[in-house]
Amino acid sequence: MNTRLQTSAPMGQSKSAAVLNLYNSYSAKLLGYIYEVVQNKPIAEQYLSAVFNDVPNELEEFSKSGTSAFCRLQIMAREKLVHFFEALENDTDKRAWENLPWVNNRYVTLMTSFQQQVFCDIHYQCKSAGSIAIELNKTEEEIRKTLKECFTIIRNGRINERVH
Amino acid sequence: MKEYIDSGILEVFVMGAATDEEARELMYMKAKYPEVDEALKQLETDMEKIAGEMAISPPPHMWEKIEDEIDGLIRLENPAQPVKFRTSGDDQNKHKKAPPEDQFIPIESESNHMRLHKSWRWIFVAVFVLGKIFLGFAIYFYLENRQTRQQLQELKTEMRELKKR
Repeated sequence: MNTRLQTSAPMGQSKSAAVLNLYNSYSAKLLGYIYEVVQNKPIAEQYLSAVFNDVPNELEEFSKSGTSAFCRLQIMAREKLVHFFEALENDTDKRAWENLPWVNNRYVTLMTSFQQQVFCDIHYQCKSAGSIAIELNKTEEEIRKTLKECFTIIRNGRINERVH
Repeated sequence: MKEYIDSGILEVFVMGAATDEEARELMYMKAKYPEVDEALKQLETDMEKIAGEMAISPPPHMWEKIEDEIDGLIRLENPAQPVKFRTSGDDQNKHKKAPPEDQFIPIESESNHMRLHKSWRWIFVAVFVLGKIFLGFAIYFYLENRQTRQQLQELKTEMRELKKR
């Protein structure tokens, strides 16, 4: 499946059509991801809307970024969600959010607690590998390796699903 | 090459956590080595699968709202600014205050433009038309009043002349 964005149509009306194409293909997955982060449906929908509102300005980036359209959308969502974390103004809010059960994801449950921490810090909390390394007193290389292990677990989980 | 792929840099990249330098290096490696390209595609598929696990269908009229916003933004040729949704301490999960569905996204912007709902267009038209009507009435009554005063003045003059006789 070609997940790269096709932007060959004339720019004017094609912008809306290109966004619609992306929306039809990825809005459900992206909303699911955002919901996992914010744990509030109306707010997740607002973030989804905000991401797609930005897509027309990023269409060029979609073509040249080298990532799939979905990953690009997810990166855009993470950039928006940074403001969500800024909005967690006090420690009580932050602690309450950190204790949320967003490790409901079937693949995440297969990981060790350290792997979960690294994966969730990057995937859900939008932290950089560098900042996690400092927080956990590890090297960036170790964090990357752990992240790679997480993806191996996810991939193996998928393979096992296919076998069964 | 295997060492590069195993370093975890590809994973960091697909999650948007790579630095600009790492991203540039990866793009170079991807273009040069097909195995890097293949590994990256595999990871992207993994990311989609993870998201697919928790997919939630958006509400039916969401696209119409987004399309309206996009049309407005295209017309203004003004890129959207970062958004920040407010938190509320008394929310069930002590997270976000959920605004009503039809409420606009609060946008923190340095732009001088203001975005309004389309329905305001009709309110502005109505205010404009009513303004014109009131202006018409005001001019009409002003002229009427002036004419009446003139007539009154003429009558007074006539009466004075009659009294003199």
